[in-house]
Amino acid sequence: MNERKQKILIVDDSEMNREILADILGEEFEIMEARDGIEAVNALRRYSVEISLVLLDIVMPKMDGLKVLTIMNSYKWIQNIPVIMISAESASSYIGKAYELGATDYIQRPFDATVVHHRVQNAIMLFSKQKNLIGLVEEQIYEKQKEQSLLISILSHIVEFHNGESGLHVSHVHTLTEILLQNLMKITDRYPLTPQEISLIATASSLHDIGKIAVDVNILKKHGNLTPQELAILKKHTVYGEQMLENIPFHRNEPLLRVAREICRYHHERYDGSGYPDGLKGDEIPISAQVVALADAYDELTSDTPYSEGVPHYQAINMILNGKCGSFSPVLLKVLQFSADRIRDGLLVSSLSGDSRKEVERITRETISRSGNRVSRRTLDLLDLEREKFKFIASDSREILFEVYRDPAMISFLEDGNEKLGVGVTVTDPLTDGKMIACFGEETLKKIFGLIDSATSENPKFNLDCTVTIQGKPCRSRIEILTQYSISSASDKYEFQSAIGKIYTLDEAAVA
Amino acid sequence: MNVQTFYDKIGGNYSETMGRLMTEERILRFVRKFPADDSFNLLKDALSRASQEEAFRAAHTLKGVAQNLGFTALYEKASAVTEVLRGGSLNVAALMPDLESVYRLTVESIAALD
Repeated sequence: MNERKQKILIVDDSEMNREILADILGEEFEIMEARDGIEAVNALRRYSVEISLVLLDIVMPKMDGLKVLTIMNSYKWIQNIPVIMISAESASSYIGKAYELGATDYIQRPFDATVVHHRVQNAIMLFSKQKNLIGLVEEQIYEKQKEQSLLISILSHIVEFHNGESGLHVSHVHTLTEILLQNLMKITDRYPLTPQEISLIATASSLHDIGKIAVDVNILKKHGNLTPQELAILKKHTVYGEQMLENIPFHRNEPLLRVAREICRYHHERYDGSGYPDGLKGDEIPISAQVVALADAYDELTSDTPYSEGVPHYQAINMILNGKCGSFSPVLLKVLQFSADRIRDGLLVSSLSGDSRKEVERITRETISRSGNRVSRRTLDLLDLEREKFKFIASDSREILFEVYRDPAMISFLEDGNEKLGVGVTVTDPLTDGKMIACFGEETLKKIFGLIDSATSENPKFNLDCTVTIQGKPCRSRIEILTQYSISSASDKYEFQSAIGKIYTLDEAAVA
Repeated sequence: MNVQTFYDKIGGNYSETMGRLMTEERILRFVRKFPADDSFNLLKDALSRASQEEAFRAAHTLKGVAQNLGFTALYEKASAVTEVLRGGSLNVAALMPDLESVYRLTVESIAALD
């Protein structure tokens, strides 16, 4: 095997100590060195998960080891890169703190070559095993879900065949239910559902019309108006569906069956109490059934039948919003409006056959992590690619580009910007950093962070005109900043991630 | 002077060091680099400027290096200084002459190695 050596980052302020470790580990690993915490953070930012392990001293100038661990936590590097603390500090408070911050292990001075070797190898092995396991679980959930989907889609096709329907209705309702629920979570916390529960409701939605197989085909396929008696029989499909699932002798308390039963019975209820079979009102109707009812109504409007053509997408949305299909919860109608574009796009690719791998990854992450904060290796890899692109684009730019992080506050410039401003590549505590203050002025720095904190995912961009000292000269400049957010898998809400910004001079003469 | 004699002379522990670092060649290589380590001078400089924080870090580093090389006597002296400084005090004047003489002996003996 001619694999590249794995990289180890050794962070210690003593050159001698770094060299001894490098000497012990150099044959098997590619060694990178950092003299203090700042250099370590820079290396981590640049190489990220390319680094297989960090050996980290605690007492160091500029930024100590515990602070490095704190930063590794903020950027979630700690979940993908094992850290072994190096210390002569038998003082257990340090070690305890380091473990709390996610360190994997520690080695004490004086270094013992054999111990160092084994600890390093074990830590790397454990981490790669964990990564493989995450991959395996993802694969299994995916397989399981695929089989489940297949069975349910066979079942629902049988039902549709019986009902004389197109064969796409069930799949559409599934997709719509999922989209509506996901967007519902974004605009309210009234119905707290986990991603797993959403996925479950969407799966169960496929069974909503199962009761129709107990209804006379002649009624289902009848062209023209039904008599009141026939209508009464048709309406019974809700209750029949629930009963059929109720009578299944096994797994009666499985969440899937429980949700499916409520969807069967209540998916023709209406928010104002005008629906059937029970005439429930408002949130007496389970949210699962409310959403499926809305999805069902939309798809019925837009689908072609043997006797008529479906209504176009936006017209159907308007009809529902105007109460043409009965009453729905105002929140759900808002969600429908908000989801209009996604619904149109979503139905083009049928979700059951479509690639649900992304969804699986998300659920896996939720399932595996205690904190709900774990980022998959793949996501980190993608992030790295983005950084490469960013660097490439920036390399030929007159603008000075930078990224801003919060908690702890940090600004990082690309090499190029660092040359022009002379503040360093990574600046921790930029608000109190002497070089930053000299370059931007205290007030501008405060303004920048104030604006970042008041920006939102709806209003993520702002500009600031100010004077910046570039290559020693004060220049009238404009700073443009775009704040970026990501959905936290823990709360499913948008959380500030980082901001990117550019600085360019407004004074043409200064540029020339 | 061979390596073993050197360790005896400076109050070091050769066999313990050999047990950890595995080869005499490796030990020699790092011992010879020791004089280039700046921690002792940094410590003195920081003390002259009454910078407790820097003095602590320098003493701490010196202690770590001495420990890694098995320079037991130097490690003990540096440890004593480190602990006083860790507590926030700069009051190490009484300990410094001892540390300095062991440090000088160590550096001079390294120069006399075969």
